[in-house]
Parts: sequence; structure tokens; C-alpha cells
Amino acid sequence: MKYFLCQTMGQDPKNKKFIALAVVLFCIAVIYGLKLAKGSDPVSSGSATLPRAKGNPQAPLKIVEYMDFQCPACARGAFFLDDLLKNKPDEVYMEVRYFPLEGNHRHALRSARYAECAAQQGKFWDVAHLLFKRQSEWKDLINADPVFEEITKSVQLDMNKLDVCLANEATTDALVKDKQEGQSRGVRSTPTYFVNEKMVVGSNSLEEELMDFFGRVKH
Amino acid sequence: MVLVRIWIGIIFVLSGTQKLLGPYQNFLYIIQSYQVLSRPWDTVVAIILPWGELLLGIFAILGLWTPWALRGLLLLTTVFMAVVVQAIVRSLPIQECGCFGEGLSFPLPTTLLLDSVLWIYIAFLIIRLERTNGFSIDRYYLKRDAQK
Repeated sequence: MKYFLCQTMGQDPKNKKFIALAVVLFCIAVIYGLKLAKGSDPVSSGSATLPRAKGNPQAPLKIVEYMDFQCPACARGAFFLDDLLKNKPDEVYMEVRYFPLEGNHRHALRSARYAECAAQQGKFWDVAHLLFKRQSEWKDLINADPVFEEITKSVQLDMNKLDVCLANEATTDALVKDKQEGQSRGVRSTPTYFVNEKMVVGSNSLEEELMDFFGRVKH
Repeated sequence: MVLVRIWIGIIFVLSGTQKLLGPYQNFLYIIQSYQVLSRPWDTVVAIILPWGELLLGIFAILGLWTPWALRGLLLLTTVFMAVVVQAIVRSLPIQECGCFGEGLSFPLPTTLLLDSVLWIYIAFLIIRLERTNGFSIDRYYLKRDAQK
């Protein structure tokens, strides 16, 4: 590049345009080179997330969601997807991955731990629904555990197993693994969805994307 | 003055590069949170704006077409400030400015303050252009023309 610039500069001053063009092309090459080197793993289903999956695995619409239980937009997205799954159970398959934003949300990690422990007892969706439904009750509390315990009791979780699970480091490891996997795919904020592998950020964009999808399917 | 020009160029290069290296959807989400543009213009801006920041920043660092690069940066900063002001006035629930993509983010009042400082520096560089042009490709050509 340096050689090219020197060569060009040594010619006619009008060649400033060529320098500008060379700079633009160089930038494009560097950015795309870096993006290529960085890469991105395809989003695939895994057995580890099965308790956090629902819908028809053969469905034409597959959604993977990275979520944080303390995020208001995630709650809106979750209710929207609940309705969608009720109305089109055979056409949609979805999986949830944890992406707790501890920096912004005090209870993000703790709520995800409760959800993961519920998942281990096959009650992920019940607990996730209640965590979102009652989000405004617990998000501003200093200690949200009493609300989380109330939620887990109301879905009849085995409380002894729950306590063991909450104290287990492997539970945190599962959350961290999900988050790292999300980061490697470029996830930065929640809710981020992969709709048939296409990245969509935010519940409004999800609604638009799904309207487009079902519009295309109809025609 | 030369160092200020290079420093401002570096700020825009970092800002553009951070956004370009991540998926554009993350920046699109931030643009949508300001509620200024409708679809598909928000997507167009999410894809194009980081390139504008990167290229104008590089041009400012190299001192290539410096007056135009600085005017471009001033225009971008003015637009950023206007968008942030309307978000503050409308009390939009924006937690991060999206200024540096995945790298660094500030609350809106801090963003406005930093943008204002940047705006003043860029405007000053444009006013004192003859002193801004040191160590630049533009200056190299000016000298060559003068020697001829």
C-alpha cells in the first residue's frame, strides 16, 4: 500500500483521485478481510438446549433467541412468540439461549440460573413465562430471590433439587457457555434472534421479519 | 492543529471500524431506538454510515482532500447531535448511544457533550485550514505545484 501510494504520489497531482480510490479499496479489503478472519459459527440446535426448545422441529421457521429475563424488550418478544406458537404450532420451532447482561441488569444472571434449574426439571417454559410476566415486580428489587422462589414454588418445582442446582457451578457454566457462543456470533444486546439463521435484533424487527416470512409463505 | 486533525480522524476510524466488524443488525437496533428513520432507511443508514465514518476519518488522518473530509465529519457530527437532542427531548429510553459499536458507549447527555466538543474542534480545523494541512497529502501536492 505504502509503495503504491508513493508511486502514485510521484506522478501527476491529478492522481489524488487514484490515491483516494486506493484508500477506499484498501479499507474495503481490510474490513472484509478482518470479518472473514473473525468468522461466525452457524446457529445450530443442540441437545443441551432441548429443555429450552418448543414447537415442531421440522417446522419451516426456526428461531433461536438470545435473551435476558430482566430485559423489557425480551418480555415483549416472548409474549409475541407465545402467541405465534399458539396460533401456528406446526410452523414454528424455537430455542432459547441465555445472554444475561449483568452490566445493565442486576438480576440477569440470578434469574437465568433459576430458569436453567427449572429447565433441568422440565419446567423452563412455565418459569420463563412467569419471570417475564412478573418482571416489573422484581426488576427493581435489591434482592429478587423471594419472587423467584414464589415463581418456582407456583410451578411445583422440587425445591431441594432447585437449591442444589442453584449452588452448582455447572449451572453458571451453562449460562456462560451460551453467552460466549452468542458473542462469537455477534450477539451484543437482547433480544437477538436468529430466524432461519438470519440475525434479527429487537422485538420490533422480529415482528417485521416474521410478517415478511409469513407473507412470503402465503404467496 | 495537525495532531488534532489526526486525533479526530482516529476517533471516526475507530467508531466506523467497531460498527463494521460486528453484524450491521446491532447498529440497526441502536438506530431504531432513536425512532427517527423508518424502514428501509434505517437499514440503509446502518450499512452506509459506518463506511462514511471510516473513510472520512482515514481521509482526515492522511490529509487527503482535507477540507471536504472535515466538512463531511462536521456534517456527521451535526446530524449525531441533532439525533441525540431529539432523543433527550422525547425522553426515549436509550441506555447506550451506539457511538463506538461494541467497543464503548455513553449515556445520551455525555454523548451530546462529547459531540459538542468534537464539533467545535472540527469547526476550528476548518476555519484554520492552512495550519491544519501540515503532514498531509494535500500539502505535498501544494508544495509540488508551487515548485513547478
